Amino acid sequence: MPTLTINGRSMSVDAANDTPLLWAIREQLQMTGTKFGCGAGLCGACTVHVNGEAVRSCQTMVGDVAGKKITTIEGLSAKGDHPLQKAWIAEQVPQCGYCQSGQIMQAASLLAKNSNPTKEEVVAHMDGNLCRCMTYSRIQKAIMRAATEMRTASAAGNERRPT
Amino acid sequence: MNKHVKNVTPETTDFSRRSFLVGTAATGLVLGYAGVPGVGEALAAAPANFEPSVWYSISPEGLVTVTCGKADMGQHIASTMAQIVCEELGAKWSDMRVNLASNDPKFNDPVLGAQITGGSWSTMMNFEAMSRAGAAGRMALTEGAAAAMGLPPYFKDELVVRDSMVTHPKSKKSMSFADIVKSGKATKTFTPDELKAIKLKTPDQYTMIGVSVPQIDIPSKTNGTAKYGIDVMIPGMAYGAVVTPPVRYGATVKSVDDSDAKKVPGFIKAVTLDDKTQTTTGWVVAVASTYANAKKAAAALKIAYDGGPNAKLSSQSLLDEAKRLQGLDDSGQFFVKDGDVSAALGSAAKVLEAEYTTSINIHAPMEPMNATAEFKGDILHIYSGNQFATRSGAIAAGAAGIDPKFVVMHQMWLGGGFGRRLDADMMVPAVQAAKAVGKPVKVIYTRENDMTMDFSRPLTYQKVKAGVDGDGKLVALSHDVVSAWPTQRWGIPDFLSPSVDKKGPLDAFTVNGSDFFYTVPNHNVRAIKNEMAHNATPSGQLRSVAPGWTFWAVESMIDEIAAATGKDPAQFRISLLDGAGKNDGGAQRLRNTLLAAMGLAGYGTKKLPKGEGMGVACVSSQERATASWTACVAHVAVAPSGEVTVKKLTVATDVGTQVHPDNIRAQVEGAALWGLSLAMHEKATLKDGGIEQTNFDSYRPLRMSQMPEVAVAVIANGEKATGVGEPAVTVVAPAIGNAIFNASGARVRALPITAEAVKGAMKA
Ligand code: FES
Ligand code: FES
Repeated sequence: MPTLTINGRSMSVDAANDTPLLWAIREQLQMTGTKFGCGAGLCGACTVHVNGEAVRSCQTMVGDVAGKKITTIEGLSAKGDHPLQKAWIAEQVPQCGYCQSGQIMQAASLLAKNSNPTKEEVVAHMDGNLCRCMTYSRIQKAIMRAATEMRTASAAGNERRPT
Repeated sequence: MNKHVKNVTPETTDFSRRSFLVGTAATGLVLGYAGVPGVGEALAAAPANFEPSVWYSISPEGLVTVTCGKADMGQHIASTMAQIVCEELGAKWSDMRVNLASNDPKFNDPVLGAQITGGSWSTMMNFEAMSRAGAAGRMALTEGAAAAMGLPPYFKDELVVRDSMVTHPKSKKSMSFADIVKSGKATKTFTPDELKAIKLKTPDQYTMIGVSVPQIDIPSKTNGTAKYGIDVMIPGMAYGAVVTPPVRYGATVKSVDDSDAKKVPGFIKAVTLDDKTQTTTGWVVAVASTYANAKKAAAALKIAYDGGPNAKLSSQSLLDEAKRLQGLDDSGQFFVKDGDVSAALGSAAKVLEAEYTTSINIHAPMEPMNATAEFKGDILHIYSGNQFATRSGAIAAGAAGIDPKFVVMHQMWLGGGFGRRLDADMMVPAVQAAKAVGKPVKVIYTRENDMTMDFSRPLTYQKVKAGVDGDGKLVALSHDVVSAWPTQRWGIPDFLSPSVDKKGPLDAFTVNGSDFFYTVPNHNVRAIKNEMAHNATPSGQLRSVAPGWTFWAVESMIDEIAAATGKDPAQFRISLLDGAGKNDGGAQRLRNTLLAAMGLAGYGTKKLPKGEGMGVACVSSQERATASWTACVAHVAVAPSGEVTVKKLTVATDVGTQVHPDNIRAQVEGAALWGLSLAMHEKATLKDGGIEQTNFDSYRPLRMSQMPEVAVAVIANGEKATGVGEPAVTVVAPAIGNAIFNASGARVRALPITAEAVKGAMKA
């Protein structure tokens, strides 16, 4: 039974090593914030962080992430107040909302490395994440807003640690 | 909404004959319509235990929870309903909550008499009812407060209601909604006449309507807590993975060999569907203890099929059949028959003729179809995000072999709808698997199931003939529309419309939009059902439905006529929007919208480099009776290779009244990008009876990098609120097609537009 470290907690899951992480997280550990969209690495709805890198959990097998640090949308921040989450609310980004966990997790991995991205960098980083409601322009605005907030916070000396 | 729609279910709730009750229940104050006509008054006498159709409730803590009978698929309709109630009730926005309704007929739409969400109808049709419900609540609370404060009842007019507080400025007394609820004094019954007599606020008194309040559902959609159908967990449930046949419709299962599936740990059973509702054909569900194992088991099943009657068909066969049908004089039925088209075409100075096509398109909401079914005693519980609970409940019942009244549908947030979740196919495997294994079962489609079994936007073929007189005036238009009939598939006669030539009902959801607001004295529209496509590719309602193709033809042809007669396409449209006769009102609004878009885009004023151009289109989506007014100017660059870059879309839309300006912008922008995606990127094809595209690598909705600049102008002129979620979908494709012509002289007539087609048309 593989043991996974998710959002700082150690959890064992009754799944074969070749089980996609997505299904273990969602259906077995019942953390349903991570979404299933395509199962083929084509939409980004299932994005989580493994050791701080954004990965597609539908393409990541449980056996490959044992011992690694996994973060899902539920663990991105303690109270849903990551600068990106706040920016998502400020810009009123979500429509149906289904893609947005993945969008936020994907964006978080960008801002963790680059808190001053250009529009082109944002587009390049986010292009693998589909939004069928087409909220793309608000996603861009929210990322820029969060980046600004993170830069201001870091200038003020209370930098967040990347997840 | 089609004006012929009356009662979809026998249990229709006719609110015009119902009392509205405000009473105390265990949970606080409940407000809603009496369950049965005439019983309201009796119940009001015993308010502690009555159970009205709860439209909203106020808890002893003062939280106001509005029950939304509409499917919320990202249009934030639940939040909007709360906003409308909040306006008249006088509550504080932060006290408002929403709740999604079950399929109980008491939550049926007050106008439609069913639970159905589509056609951008929701705001329009519920505004008044929700406003009255809010106002009735305020009156009950005010009177309750007067009583609790010890003021004589005639003081009630001196009370001010604001931010969940009732205040009596003269005596400086005040009471919160919470305290009034706790006092138990807010009990009141309104007869239908009293409810109707309530004077609602006038727009100048609004403090909530027209304000972009934060949407109630949004925080839960940023932290993973919003629950969609796919997130439902029932203790002890098993999982179903669907194996669908290679043919979209009509296949049967000859045999299932589960010997390899049995080796998968946790495998329970392979269930071959016996679908009496005929929603699905040839489906098998592999049931296992986890979804991962259900998928493994599904992959291990060896299934032999009989492909059935459609197994040889392709997109080309459907198109050939459409052309054959259009060529017959007696096909189809008339939707519009004004004047004498053949005489006018006969005497016209110039006749233009063109064919327009659109491909099969797939809804592909980001949340794949899913449903969870649980039998509990006599009751079948279905958990699924659905746009048409009334019909879907009946399909679930049909799949279970029980009466629909024993089905409870639990609504969830929808991970996208776009019309896809009007259908109920996902309930069938969940119900039959749950029945077969004696456990609750959650069925989740793979993306491949979801795409190949979509109730798609049908392939359409349209032939348009236009006659112009010696002065270049459009005198005749004949328009034939050949398609599968998505709405007829529902089997609900009330959703069909009578034909003008009395040849039986037609599916107006295949021709809406063609009855435009241009003045054309001789005008025919013929709706022709493509039976072959109807059977092979059961079609559905895709965001905006018919106007998504009818305006492609109409707005392209109008442009072609303008070009042929040497007129500016925008000015030509304006001349046709003269507001004569039946077009009075609508035509002028559409004209103004077009002018707004032209102004914002700099149409005719901006100098464009070679290879760039602007095109216009204006549409009156949805149905004529519930029209809204939208125009678009597309700015494109066309490379010599035929490659088209959409540089900017400028959309103007007349929404009448804005309930939530920011949401309108979000919806209009999303709709415009949908329009772009359908115009340039999305194409599905049929081969050997099956849809060829299986995932987002071959079916490619717009991505962020493909997004042009979008400018939106919202015109709020105080008219009634119109729908905003759909019209902009329909206006973009013709605007782009017309812009391509303006830029390069290439006329494209097939959607989606390809570089190849543009290049081919350039040479011609
Ligand atoms: S579900 Fe993993 S990328 Fe789409
Ligand atoms: S918000 Fe609906 S898919 Fe992105």
